Amino acid sequence: MSEATLARAAPTPAAVRPRRRPSRDFLLGAGTLVAFVLAWKLVHLSRLFPPWAFPAPEQVLGAFVKTLESGELLKNTWASVARQIVGVVLAALVGIPGGLLLGASRDARAALLPICRMVYPIPGIAWIPLAILWFGIGFKSTVFVIFFTGIWPILFNTMAGVTTLDGQYTDVARVYLAPRMFYVRKVLVPGSLPFIITGIRLTYGVGWRVIVGAEMISSITGLGFMIDDARWQLRPDVMVAGMITIAMIGWVMENWAFDWLERVTIERWGMKSQPR
Amino acid sequence: MVRIEALSKRYAAGGTDILALSGISATIGEGEFVCLLGPSGCGKSTLLKIVAGLIPASSGTISIAGRVVTAPGPDRAMVFQDYALFPWMTVVENAEFGLAARGVAPARRAAASAELLKAVGLGEFAAKYPHHLSGGMKQRVSIARALAVDPMLLLMDEPFGALDAQTRFVMQQELLRIWRAYRKTVLFVTHSIEEALYLGDRVLLMTARPGRIKAEIPVASPRPRDIGSVEFARLRAQTLELLSEEIARSMEQEATAAVTS
Ligand SMILES: Nc1ncnc2c1ncn2[C@@H]1O[C@H](COP(=O)(O)OP(=O)(O)OP(=O)(O)O)[C@@H](O)[C@H]1O
Ligand SMILES: [Mg+2]
Repeated sequence: MSEATLARAAPTPAAVRPRRRPSRDFLLGAGTLVAFVLAWKLVHLSRLFPPWAFPAPEQVLGAFVKTLESGELLKNTWASVARQIVGVVLAALVGIPGGLLLGASRDARAALLPICRMVYPIPGIAWIPLAILWFGIGFKSTVFVIFFTGIWPILFNTMAGVTTLDGQYTDVARVYLAPRMFYVRKVLVPGSLPFIITGIRLTYGVGWRVIVGAEMISSITGLGFMIDDARWQLRPDVMVAGMITIAMIGWVMENWAFDWLERVTIERWGMKSQPR
Repeated sequence: MVRIEALSKRYAAGGTDILALSGISATIGEGEFVCLLGPSGCGKSTLLKIVAGLIPASSGTISIAGRVVTAPGPDRAMVFQDYALFPWMTVVENAEFGLAARGVAPARRAAASAELLKAVGLGEFAAKYPHHLSGGMKQRVSIARALAVDPMLLLMDEPFGALDAQTRFVMQQELLRIWRAYRKTVLFVTHSIEEALYLGDRVLLMTARPGRIKAEIPVASPRPRDIGSVEFARLRAQTLELLSEEIARSMEQEATAAVTS
């Protein structure tokens, strides 16, 4: 109860940001990346694949520069990212309240879980033809597909968060006469947040994976379209440049956006089990 | 005044019925500090939860100031053994929880919580999150949260059970000071004889399951009590003898349960 106890309990900056690793970890990671690019170059030189189907690393870099200069890369990236954001936000807007309801009400689970369990194994791609019939080619049909594939992780995770919430929190809310909505806002949602964030992470990942497929079939913009279109022009360097762009955006979201969200919420509250 | 009359509680758990409480009757006077002492599993928490209105009794009634209670109410607040603070709220937000739930305006809330946090010695820590606090500090926040709603009856379920001996002793004295300053009626669950005799005006000793009131032990000596005194030792020996029988029975029950299951 003294200052000393407090100082001991307070996490050091290193504990708050577990990703700020000593440089050894960074070197190992970067080293592997460099080795990968070298191996890639070697395979290219070995002529194991015909050069028109297997671009060299520097060719891909060239494709990056060219598509950047022409504005093609940014335009398609923005098209994909906008769809992804809208799809994920819609999935969260429906999935979080839906998960809260499923978690809180036994009747809701009995009524809705069977149909959810039947619909969710349908791969996102399978929705595309129907989505095109309903919404035509482009923004709406892609967003629809992201939404329908992405809603499940956030829905089921939010539900799990509610059902595993410590019953004592509910007891406290009842003892202090918390009204229903107050309880939802102040106890249920923040208490389930570790699960909700995991759900959004998964939703984001699933959406990003399905968007490329969707754009290949039902769009004339977006990174998926760009990759698919490069096939007709026999430009494997553009394909790979598109793939790397997808990887980088995914990496940035994972390592920055979601980690930041966790840092300002559940890590700050001491609710995150320290990883590794 | 709190009046518990012929209270029984039966849990139906997976086909087998457990009689947790049987025919409990007791009264607690206004401003009295009553300790509930009993072996593990005898139904102390159950009784406290029924008084709090969190779970229904199977039979019998509880009335407070003449009114029968069956649900949580503004006249009662509870302090839990493992603090039950919300990790996502700061100390001050936790302390204000009951007031916020009741829709009290932020300015009035802030005034009340500032005073209470100061009273429990946590004025400096208002903006901290619970995971930065030691166990004793967390329990002070939990006590501040309970006092904030100005309850008539304070229910405490082994509030110091998780604390180390020194912190526990400090907290016991703190609690007595707060109890005198705020003049609450307290029902305090413990399974420590020393704690019960140190704190209580009266100790209600419970039997092994099904819990009944086995004895009422008034503790007349004035506070602060000297736990080294002859008088204290005598009372302690007497209580220990009564409790030992029940602990033995409780362990016997557990052994048979282990064999038959
Ligand atoms: N929800 C429940 N369903 C079924 N049985 C229960 C339930 N809660 C408690 N019990 C049983 O009722 C009895 C009394 O439990 P209770 O928690 O009230 O005891 P206690 O005196 O508080 O014990 P402890 O000292 O360990 O806290 C125990 O045998 C317990 O297993
Ligand atoms: Mg208990």
